[in-house]
Amino acid sequence: MTTSTPPNSDQRRETVDVSILREIARNSLVHALNSVNGAKTLVLDPSLAGPLSLVTEVSLLQQHGIDKMFWLESGPLSAVTTSIVYLCRPRIKWMKIIADQIRRHSAESQKHTYTLFLVPRTSALITRVLEEEGVLGDITISSYNLQFIPIADDVVSLENSEAFKEIWVDGDETSVYDSSQALHTLQKLFGLFPRIIGKGDHAGRLADLLTRQTTQRASVDQDGLLDISDTFDSLIVIDRRVDMITPLLTQLTYEGLIDEIVHIKNSHIEVPASLLNAPSNPNQAASGSGSTSAAPAPVLVQDKKRKHHLSASTDPIFSELQDLNFASVGKRLNKAARRLDEDYRARHQASVSQLRDFVGKLGGLQAEHRALQLHTGLSEIIMPVTRSEVFNKSLEIQQNLLASYDVPGQITAVEDLIAQGAEMQVVIRLLCLASITAGGIKGKTLENIKKEVLQAYGYSYLPLLLALGSPPLAILLPNPLPSSAPAAVSGAKYPYASLRKSLRLLIDGNESLEELENDISYVYSGYAPISIRLVQCVTQKGGVLSNPAKSKEGATEEDGKKGKSTFLGPTQAHPIVGFKGFEDVVESITGRTFDITQRGAAATNGVSTTLHSAWKERTTTTVVFFLGGCTYTEIAALRWAGCQTQGRKFLIATTGMVSGGSMIESIAGVGRAAGTSKEASL
Amino acid sequence: MAEHPTASWQAMQDGSVFYRQQRLYTLDGKLPSLGDCVVAGCRNGGPLALMRDTKKMIAIGPATPMFAKSQIQVYSPSGEGLLLLSWEQAKIICFGWTGDERLVILNEEGVYRLYDLQGDYVGITDARIHDNGLVAMTGSLQLLEVKGWQGGRPLALANPNLSEPPTVWTLIPPDLTISRHVEVLLSVEASVLSVDNLEAVDQRLSRGPFTHMAPSPNGKSLALLTMSGMLWVVSTDFQRNLAEFDTVSAGAEGPVKQVEWCGNDAILVTWDALVLLVGPFGDTLQYYYSGPTFAVTEVDGVRVIAADACDFIQKVPASSVSVFRPGSTSPSAILFDAWENFNNRSPKADENIRSIKLDLAAAVDEVIDAAGQEWESAWQRKLLSAANFGKSFLDLYNPTDFVNMGKTLKVLHAVRQFEVGIPLTLFQYNYLSPSHLISRLTSRNLHLLALHVSSFLSLLPDNVLKHWASAKITKSKHVVSGTGKDTEMLGDEEVSKAIVEKFEKLGGATVSYAEVAKKAWEVGRTRLATMLLDHELRASDQVPLLLMMKEDRLALQKAVDSGDTDLVYHVLLQLYNRLPLGAFFRLIEDGGSSLAPASRLLQVYAKEQNPEMLRDFYYSDDRRVESAVLSLEEAGRMKATAKLTSIKAAQKFFSEDKERSFEAKMMDEYSRLLAFQQTLEKESTDKIEFFGLSVDETIKKCLLSGMTKRADKLKSDFKVPDKRYWYIKLHAFTATRDFEGLEAFSRSKRSPIGYEAFVRHLVEKGHPKVAVSYVQRCDSNKRIDLYVECGEWVMAGKECKERGDRARLEKLRSSCPNSLIARELDQISSTMN
Repeated sequence: MTTSTPPNSDQRRETVDVSILREIARNSLVHALNSVNGAKTLVLDPSLAGPLSLVTEVSLLQQHGIDKMFWLESGPLSAVTTSIVYLCRPRIKWMKIIADQIRRHSAESQKHTYTLFLVPRTSALITRVLEEEGVLGDITISSYNLQFIPIADDVVSLENSEAFKEIWVDGDETSVYDSSQALHTLQKLFGLFPRIIGKGDHAGRLADLLTRQTTQRASVDQDGLLDISDTFDSLIVIDRRVDMITPLLTQLTYEGLIDEIVHIKNSHIEVPASLLNAPSNPNQAASGSGSTSAAPAPVLVQDKKRKHHLSASTDPIFSELQDLNFASVGKRLNKAARRLDEDYRARHQASVSQLRDFVGKLGGLQAEHRALQLHTGLSEIIMPVTRSEVFNKSLEIQQNLLASYDVPGQITAVEDLIAQGAEMQVVIRLLCLASITAGGIKGKTLENIKKEVLQAYGYSYLPLLLALGSPPLAILLPNPLPSSAPAAVSGAKYPYASLRKSLRLLIDGNESLEELENDISYVYSGYAPISIRLVQCVTQKGGVLSNPAKSKEGATEEDGKKGKSTFLGPTQAHPIVGFKGFEDVVESITGRTFDITQRGAAATNGVSTTLHSAWKERTTTTVVFFLGGCTYTEIAALRWAGCQTQGRKFLIATTGMVSGGSMIESIAGVGRAAGTSKEASL
Repeated sequence: MAEHPTASWQAMQDGSVFYRQQRLYTLDGKLPSLGDCVVAGCRNGGPLALMRDTKKMIAIGPATPMFAKSQIQVYSPSGEGLLLLSWEQAKIICFGWTGDERLVILNEEGVYRLYDLQGDYVGITDARIHDNGLVAMTGSLQLLEVKGWQGGRPLALANPNLSEPPTVWTLIPPDLTISRHVEVLLSVEASVLSVDNLEAVDQRLSRGPFTHMAPSPNGKSLALLTMSGMLWVVSTDFQRNLAEFDTVSAGAEGPVKQVEWCGNDAILVTWDALVLLVGPFGDTLQYYYSGPTFAVTEVDGVRVIAADACDFIQKVPASSVSVFRPGSTSPSAILFDAWENFNNRSPKADENIRSIKLDLAAAVDEVIDAAGQEWESAWQRKLLSAANFGKSFLDLYNPTDFVNMGKTLKVLHAVRQFEVGIPLTLFQYNYLSPSHLISRLTSRNLHLLALHVSSFLSLLPDNVLKHWASAKITKSKHVVSGTGKDTEMLGDEEVSKAIVEKFEKLGGATVSYAEVAKKAWEVGRTRLATMLLDHELRASDQVPLLLMMKEDRLALQKAVDSGDTDLVYHVLLQLYNRLPLGAFFRLIEDGGSSLAPASRLLQVYAKEQNPEMLRDFYYSDDRRVESAVLSLEEAGRMKATAKLTSIKAAQKFFSEDKERSFEAKMMDEYSRLLAFQQTLEKESTDKIEFFGLSVDETIKKCLLSGMTKRADKLKSDFKVPDKRYWYIKLHAFTATRDFEGLEAFSRSKRSPIGYEAFVRHLVEKGHPKVAVSYVQRCDSNKRIDLYVECGEWVMAGKECKERGDRARLEKLRSSCPNSLIARELDQISSTMN
């Protein structure tokens, strides 16, 4: 395997420095806390614990007077301090709990002062609800503006996992607005995006809000118009509705699979505590990585669970593995284990000075060792699942549906999955996938299978089916559509069959995985995510048409005996010219297509020409914003695409990390369990 | 020629420190007698507010026009009348100035009003006012704090538990305390209580009670005056004793009127005829005035207003001392000397410059600063020339400071004119920021000057323009009223045109029209307001005014367009309160697709907070499906019979929509299932819970609890397909370990799910031995793998032999777990032919 350089090498990481966003978030939190005098009790919205833990730590909160922390949950609150601080998102259900607690206190004639910090901003709605609950007079409302949080060196996220549901099911566009505010903050830090390109109705709305803000904010902030950025070359906005197919598929990269199976929440996973403990015998864990029988997993599951922060910056092995197809993870782990083993063994045949070197390295080795132990453990949890029948069956159905092969047969296969008791989200994902790729499911069949779903999982899922089947989502439709269907539905048919060809979505089965590694389809073992292909249509037009590595191969062979090193390195990035060349393809997808050029304070024609002439020498950053969330696999794909071009880096921004499962479950209203202890922690 | 700067200097501390008294303006009786008034002065050269002190008897004379009713008069420091306010409400308790030069008046009902210098109001027993809020003392001797001037709610501070009012009290503003929260100091008996929002701490002093208390401008020290006339200075945490001085020794008559700080290191004590400056080491300077005075503490000095003059007393700034101090040999003094010599064509100039060559840059900086500290323009000019002279001897000197000082002095000179009457010092100007100065000018209606200053300092003219437009609207009101409708409309257009023209010419596209429009609306010119509002780009500014103007639909439309969901909620909730429900719904429904986002937000809100309203909304709009979903979701939170009723309601809603026959049927099934589950629970005498399970779960539970008949009935009632039913049974038999039952069931008829499923499920649940018996019944080509899964390697080997698959056997041999099995496999392989 000579061609693959994992995209995690250093060059990917040197995008714009997003850690400043963390600093901003930290400082404004400190500022908010200091505005309340003395010792205080913090009552925390559980959904904020994860995001907060990415920007601060408990000790910082303690330094600023937090005496004790509780989860915001119904039931009485016993606080010893006079000041009680609530920190939560502006949701009505939280307000009801808060109101209840305040009323309880006043009934017991406990005296407290209450401060409510809303994330990211205060809201007229909340004031109203508190007023209706009769406690508005007792509480001081303020805001804590938590926007983009860096979750990797090249990924920033609003960490709002409900954004997709809010926008496309409830029709609540708050997160579109919040996103535009957050993107504007980015502009304030790094300058205006010279160009805003995107696809999708809500993406268009976001772009409108963003451009309007840029012109309006100028006078409010008193700092005049912003200048065009020289770090950013463009902002690409993709809304989730434009590519519903990708999240419906099972993610196959290492990080993606962890998310599918173990569930990553705000970059944290819950794993058996034994995986995180310090290793007792260095050689033992290393040798265990090769054989992965089903046996150890059940034992591990019964362990006490502990939270762990998955971060590529502190965990070298994870940074190496996260974007790899799971098929190659075992091999990599083995290699890492062997390397580590050699390093350890080196101490036996060492002279004194070498030994000193070894001791110096020991800390690093042990950290690596712990990481290795964790990842072998994780693989052992994942492996049996990937070998289970339901998993493989659903993969097979996905592949067949993507190839539009025997659709009725696939539906029958889905029925079998229901009978076998597969998870609800797996079944719904497959059904939606069938509906989108085939342009609907035959009316009678659809009704039948819906009935099976309802009988097997409960009739209370009927609203979920209705939501999936009606606009603006409309991803579970009968074919042909009933004549009464609104125009919005009938016009929204997804041109999957033509996209498959024009965007080269499916790679022929006869190429081995290793050959695929240079194409983004590597991450789904042969399917290239539409969302990333659309990004490529803007940033790397060559990559859409053909595998960049392949054309190179041909070239080098003619070059002579370069031998095995076929991958010549990345090609030079071309300037951003919108969707040029792919206008028809992009237009065939429903939703607005837009390409806006922003003008800064000093924008004159002279400046822009010099910019273009200096193009070659500079490395610019393209910000890709996923409205409604993106998957870990899409990030992986974008990283692969990024390391194929020189002179352009990607900064991925999103409303939150999603997977097909989490999306379906949020629409269905089944939450994934949060912390159980009464006392909160980060 | 103005007299030499040092002429007004007075030495203190053995001549090492100087204080100077600068006559800012002569007043000559422009002000009423200060002795009869309560006075509040605004810092940083701001105006004075006077009100008759009702506790004093006054001889009515010609010079007392203001005593007829409750009035507050506002004067500039130069004695120009700025404003006359009549107060018709409850008794005024206290008045003072905010940081942005608005007058706060607090009456005994606890209502405070804010007045700008136009006299328009924007907005207990005693109160103290600081720049960003006030603390009031209630009749029951509790303390209330109001933060900011946006109509914030008063917050109670810790209860000081007073039994009688303190002899004197004061506060330290929040930005000067360590905790960043306001701190109140109360003189109670012999001690001082310090109170913040958490606790009241007794400082355990013994020298009180005190008659005067004053915190220094930086909040670090506190001046206290005891009953016996002892002036005592301590740090505000009462940890350090800073100075003591016996004021009786000054020999003044009558009681002490005021104790004020002069900058941060000297204290001014005033009597009716005497003003005494007490330095940090007890040295004193005396100033005599005829008649009563009033002193206003400034950050860098103190302003004294007497009947005939307004004076400024300050510690002479370091740079001035350095340049002008007699016998000074500092580089800056030598530089100034050199320049004078140069002007006198004396060769000593060169000599001087040479002698300070190394320190020349610093000397130039100091001379520039000294220029800023002078009040007289002649001396400013001299000093700047000297700096310029020094500058020319330097190769690389950044002239920015020099240029800026010139600009600043020009601005300061303009506002110090007595017509304007803002005696700002350089220090105060820098402390306040130029934009603050601009807003002071606009609030005096000095728009032209403000505009000149802002363009001179290249600041955005927005605020000036807005203020000007508001003033224009207010003024033009009187001209057009009463002269018929046509003229009024004409007037509107004229004013609007004038404003828009001016805005576009001077302010670019960034000026906000909303404030101006609001002003127009407030004075009753709705048409003008609408015209102006059309020019506003920011929805967040537009919408509140539109709501106020009752332009409901437009307000909602603009809010939706803005994309700011909070703004939409703001409008929706206001309208919901104000309009009758029917009209409210009609407004949203008639909006069609353009108001659809608002409609959806209303649903999000109502679903959790107000389901009744939502039901009405869906009903009035004939939205059957949504009504049904709402019922269904409510059912999810209900129990027993109520749940059943809700499901039936949902079913009814679905059945009313022809397109939704499938959903209606499902709801019918749902209610049947719930009813069935209720009978099941009865049959099991309430021991087993069934209610709320899905069909499959119910069947499984029946099987697990041995109610096989019931399971079969469910299967037929709900037409559960064989496949699913078989899986459920398989899972149930495995769970109860009823392997005989499973065996019998598997033979009841040909399995619709095959037997591989049996094997896999049994293996998965840890019963490989049981699973083996089913392998024989699977497809022959899968048997080898299945045997391996059951852990039966030998049988797998035999299967290979039967199929004659040697290659497969070899593979088995190489992957088998131990040598025992390997040997057996070898044996099998050897028997193969």
